[in-house]
Amino acid sequence: MDTFFLLFEGLATAAQPMNLMFALLGVMLGTAVGVMPGIGPALTVALLLPVSLSFGATGSMIMFAGIYYGGMYGGAISSILLNTPGETASIMTAVEGNRMAKRGAGGKALGAAAIGSFFGGTFATLGLALVAPFMVSVALSFGTAEYFALMMLSFMTVSAAFGGSMTRGLTALFIGLTIGLVGTDKLTGQVRLAFGVPEMSDNISIAIVAVGLFAIGETMFLASQHINHKTKAEAVKGSVWLNWSDLKRCIRPYIRGTGLGFLFGPLPTGGAEIPTFLSYTTEKRLAQGEGRRDFDEGRGAIEGVAGPEAANNASAAGTLIPLLTLGLPTSATAAMMLAGFQQYGLQPGPLLFTNNAELVWGLVGSLFIANLMLVVLNVPFIGIWVKLLTIPRPWLYAGILTFATLGIVGAQGSAFALILLLGFGLIGFLMRRFNYPLAPALVGAILGPLAEEQLRRGLMINRGDWSFLVTSNIALTIYAIAILAVFGPRIWAFLRSRGTGRSSRA
Amino acid sequence: MPADKDLTAGETRLSADQTAPEVRLHGEDEVGQGSGLRDLAGLGIAAGLFALAFVIYSDAASYPVRRSYAQFGPEIFPYLIALGIVVLAGITTVIAWRGGFEARARLNYGGLFWIVAAIVVEIIMLFAGSGFIAASTVLFAFSARAFGQTTHLLNFAIGATMSTLLFLLFRYGLGLALPSGPLERGIDLLLR
Repeated sequence: MDTFFLLFEGLATAAQPMNLMFALLGVMLGTAVGVMPGIGPALTVALLLPVSLSFGATGSMIMFAGIYYGGMYGGAISSILLNTPGETASIMTAVEGNRMAKRGAGGKALGAAAIGSFFGGTFATLGLALVAPFMVSVALSFGTAEYFALMMLSFMTVSAAFGGSMTRGLTALFIGLTIGLVGTDKLTGQVRLAFGVPEMSDNISIAIVAVGLFAIGETMFLASQHINHKTKAEAVKGSVWLNWSDLKRCIRPYIRGTGLGFLFGPLPTGGAEIPTFLSYTTEKRLAQGEGRRDFDEGRGAIEGVAGPEAANNASAAGTLIPLLTLGLPTSATAAMMLAGFQQYGLQPGPLLFTNNAELVWGLVGSLFIANLMLVVLNVPFIGIWVKLLTIPRPWLYAGILTFATLGIVGAQGSAFALILLLGFGLIGFLMRRFNYPLAPALVGAILGPLAEEQLRRGLMINRGDWSFLVTSNIALTIYAIAILAVFGPRIWAFLRSRGTGRSSRA
Repeated sequence: MPADKDLTAGETRLSADQTAPEVRLHGEDEVGQGSGLRDLAGLGIAAGLFALAFVIYSDAASYPVRRSYAQFGPEIFPYLIALGIVVLAGITTVIAWRGGFEARARLNYGGLFWIVAAIVVEIIMLFAGSGFIAASTVLFAFSARAFGQTTHLLNFAIGATMSTLLFLLFRYGLGLALPSGPLERGIDLLLR
């Protein structure tokens, strides 16, 4: 019952007027940025990272929760109306959702997505509140060897799960690790890889790395393509309100999607991609009656939107379990959140629950509130967000670029930061162009210095003897999980490609 | 890696029966197979990685020697990273040599040029003391051009309006310090 007490206190923290305002601001900003075509939650969080700096730790964390969920919902809007999923998590939403929009049922698709997000988000957050304290009690017994193993697990899985090739994932990871080296060594004060530049002898701000790699690199990549940037959005036709029979069609997909999302979210296999795909194929297989016809005739089935959207948000909450309790990011968005914590010198992990209990539970509480705000505010105001889609793309992307540089200049207070930003932008562009995943680079830059600290602390305690790394059973178990997690997705990809082949022939 | 190819094929097939998403996703493999020819750009990447490893190594080798219980100082992690990069650069060389990189879409150099120019000009203007609004206006106009919007006057007008609004919001709403030039100091005087 302790958990419920803490959760209740967290809700009380989140319900303070100031914090409610931060949550509202986060939800609005997150949706506004997330709705822009091609921009998913990870990029949304990256863009708004510097902006939240001026609100203090609790306030900005609460705003972050809003941005996170807002960005997810905004991504669903552009997926449905424009067929431009901002990241892998919303591909499945785009498939049936865009078909529905084309036949004039876009409103219903948006409604189903909003309620599905609320359903998945709320129940998975409840799950998070229940599971997290248990994880914390396990994690409290961890020493340097276990933490180092955990970070290796994170490195291996993030490199294996994102993108296709392991070599490229690892290369991205090592680029990130190199970025993490730049600056002053915590243990000895040795300045590394700064080349005499004073701004670089302080460590490079993770915000610059994130915005450079993701936002600037992505903008360059889009500009370098020969595509027409003037695509029209489908107009929202039909009411966004679901009637009773729509709801009846959605409720089972919601429950199944939430379960899948919550199950797969915390696993280090790359966040929402697998659960949304599983949810989509499940609904497609199980659909009966009207849903069966909608799937088969390519009219766009509401079940195919409801399930993946619930799974999407449930896995977002699930992702927060390893992030908050162990400090391990299992998706690009989670890595951005971790960067957000680090802006305030907070290191997620079991100690965060004991030292900053109010902040953690306030964050969990505000997840509920942000979820509720989304469904209450966004369903009626959907028209405003859709208006954003009618902004001509050149101005939209130019605006995003302006916003990104403003955030960096404002937060860093120097124009030199922009030179670094341009550098990371070019690296991000090259990585996108040659199909290197970006998430491992970010995770490497964030976790690299922490892993180094654990390793060298361990070496110091054990007088330079490396064997401490493999003498703990917990550490060995974690390494075993890492190996499983790396090869698991490969087996999964094999099964998945066979499954897809079958379903597209059906 | 055959499993990867299968994965790509699966995703392609899935989106092929409708209009394909126009923006490619992070991590989604490019559609198309490697040409089987030597990939010069890929070899370039490998060379870049070798160079990076060398820079890390030579930097780490220059640290003064410390005696510590750990027996290793701040150089151990850089050495490990450099070693990892060398291995990966080697594998990249082999992949590129065999033409294992996917075919890439033709590059729109113009668009890329305008974006880079936009940021470079903004940096120069900020260092020259033009202030945030002017620099951001140019950034906006140049990047709109990068996406094919050739209504230059309109681009500048929108950029100026947006930069001014953002400046007011961030300077007075959030209290962020943005670089000031003549224009910003004028606004400060007016609003004080």
